Amino acid sequence: MSKASKSKTSGRMSMGQRKRLHAGILSVVMIALALICAIPLYIVIVNTFKNSADMSLDPFGLPKAPTFENYVYAFENLPIIQATVNTIIVTVVSVALMVLIGSLAAYGMVQKKSRFTAAIGSFLLLSFVLPGQVLLIPQYKMESSLGLVDSLLGLVVLYTGASTFCYFLIVNYMRGLPQELFEAARLDGASSLRIFWQIVLPLCRPILATVIVFETMWTWNDFMTPNIYISSVEKQTLVLQVFNAMGQFTTNWPLFMTITFIALVPVFVFFIFCQKWIVSGLVAGSVKG
Amino acid sequence: MSDPSTETVHGNARRRRNLAENLTSLGFLAPILLVYVVIMLVPFAQSIVYSFTDYGGYDFATAKFVGLDNYVQIFHDPTLLNGLGFTLMYTILTTVLITAIALPLAVVLNKKFFGRDFVRSVFFFLSVPSMVVLGLVWQYIFSPMKTGAVNMILDKLGFDTVPFLSQPGWAKFCVIFIAVWAQIGWHATLYLAYLQAVPADLYEQAQVDGASTWQQFTNITLPQMVPAMGVSVFMLLTGGLKVYDLPFALTSGGPGSSTYTVTQSIIVTGIGSGRYGIGSALGVVFFICCVVLVALQQVATNAIEKRLS
Repeated sequence: MSKASKSKTSGRMSMGQRKRLHAGILSVVMIALALICAIPLYIVIVNTFKNSADMSLDPFGLPKAPTFENYVYAFENLPIIQATVNTIIVTVVSVALMVLIGSLAAYGMVQKKSRFTAAIGSFLLLSFVLPGQVLLIPQYKMESSLGLVDSLLGLVVLYTGASTFCYFLIVNYMRGLPQELFEAARLDGASSLRIFWQIVLPLCRPILATVIVFETMWTWNDFMTPNIYISSVEKQTLVLQVFNAMGQFTTNWPLFMTITFIALVPVFVFFIFCQKWIVSGLVAGSVKG
Repeated sequence: MSDPSTETVHGNARRRRNLAENLTSLGFLAPILLVYVVIMLVPFAQSIVYSFTDYGGYDFATAKFVGLDNYVQIFHDPTLLNGLGFTLMYTILTTVLITAIALPLAVVLNKKFFGRDFVRSVFFFLSVPSMVVLGLVWQYIFSPMKTGAVNMILDKLGFDTVPFLSQPGWAKFCVIFIAVWAQIGWHATLYLAYLQAVPADLYEQAQVDGASTWQQFTNITLPQMVPAMGVSVFMLLTGGLKVYDLPFALTSGGPGSSTYTVTQSIIVTGIGSGRYGIGSALGVVFFICCVVLVALQQVATNAIEKRLS
């Protein structure tokens, strides 16, 4: 666009010109700001193609002699594929469970308004002020008495605790749906479970998409739980593996950057596909509350 | 007056139907109640009980009741106090800074300019990776040695190197700086979604009346953004209080215990060295801090909403 040509002609300008000048300045400033903020990501990517010596000489420049040795080494020496599979299993099972539990509860809540359900509602509300930290020690004891420490199932069990968060987002959305639809189905003799599966859930698709995206990112990125519970190499999640690689290769920054980049790729791909649901549904869920 | 006997029959039928409906609802609510009680409430109760004992993790039957000893000890242990202090400082500073930056950022991102979608995506992208991964990358950038990215530039420009992660004050600054950098985009996107719902004619009317950009911001945008701020601030507060990943990856709580967090304290003292009593007491103290902070936020949001509407 013609940013340069505009900046000099500030004497007398029409409304339209001034508007375009503003937009031009805004473009330059904002794109520059965004690029500055993205420098750390640039450093990660560009250094995956260098060796240690090149990186310590010039960490910012483009690689002079691009090399793929870091990628080869990472895939040959670290169980990256295994860690990715572990993370996918844990994330998919956990998110499916928490969304199912959360939406079942939301429907139970919407279906019948009584003092009884209202009491359960405020009872669940408590979970928002209950910091996870105060639960860590007893949860650890519980998992170890059940033999769930150092197992993927143990992680899944803990992650289902996020059901309450799913429930709150979904219930707010469900309350905004036309209740007559459910009533009509009930008068037709459909069972509650069938109404839930065939009418309620499809109507809730927008909020379910948001909750799924949100919880997937949260579960995928969680570090604290695997760091406490997982000790075997073959059960590591991806984030835990990046962290452990750091301890293993402290002196080899390019290799570390490569592992980081490999771990970031699935998240970014997921983000690109799901971007539009991430925030829109959050707004929908909370506005109606 | 109606016949009392038919009324009881009707009453019974209604009560029976009511009971049946409540039971169906309960069926739907059962899984979440199970999860909630087993994973959250029972552990919470256990934590409170442990906090009054010298429980070491092996056999609860042999644990002794020690009254408030654990609580007294927390307030005499500088490491644990540091953890509590830094967590609260982190929570409040990140909440204030992110809100102060993300809201104007969202207003700008709502304007039309060339490259807007690109800028929006970049800011949002930063909040996508795990905080641990970001913390480790920044460990290189903020390395206090001359090999660190920022210090390398400072050194080349002829400035002294800065002890970024090796001096307590700087370490705290770095943790908070990175947290703000990583999260402004997400919160700006949240505000942006709400901004797009503000009716455009409000602004057109204000422009006709000759309101300046600043007046439009304070008189239209801010009041319209109160519900969004409620959501965003609540998430920042609850997320901030849980902080663990970022400082742990960046500084492992150091130097000394300057960037220690409550979560790290509980993991190290409670699970790591088996002092369940003290770890639990710290959790309970922290629970009280959370309740107070969240209650304050709710009161403040309600007060602001009332004043503006």
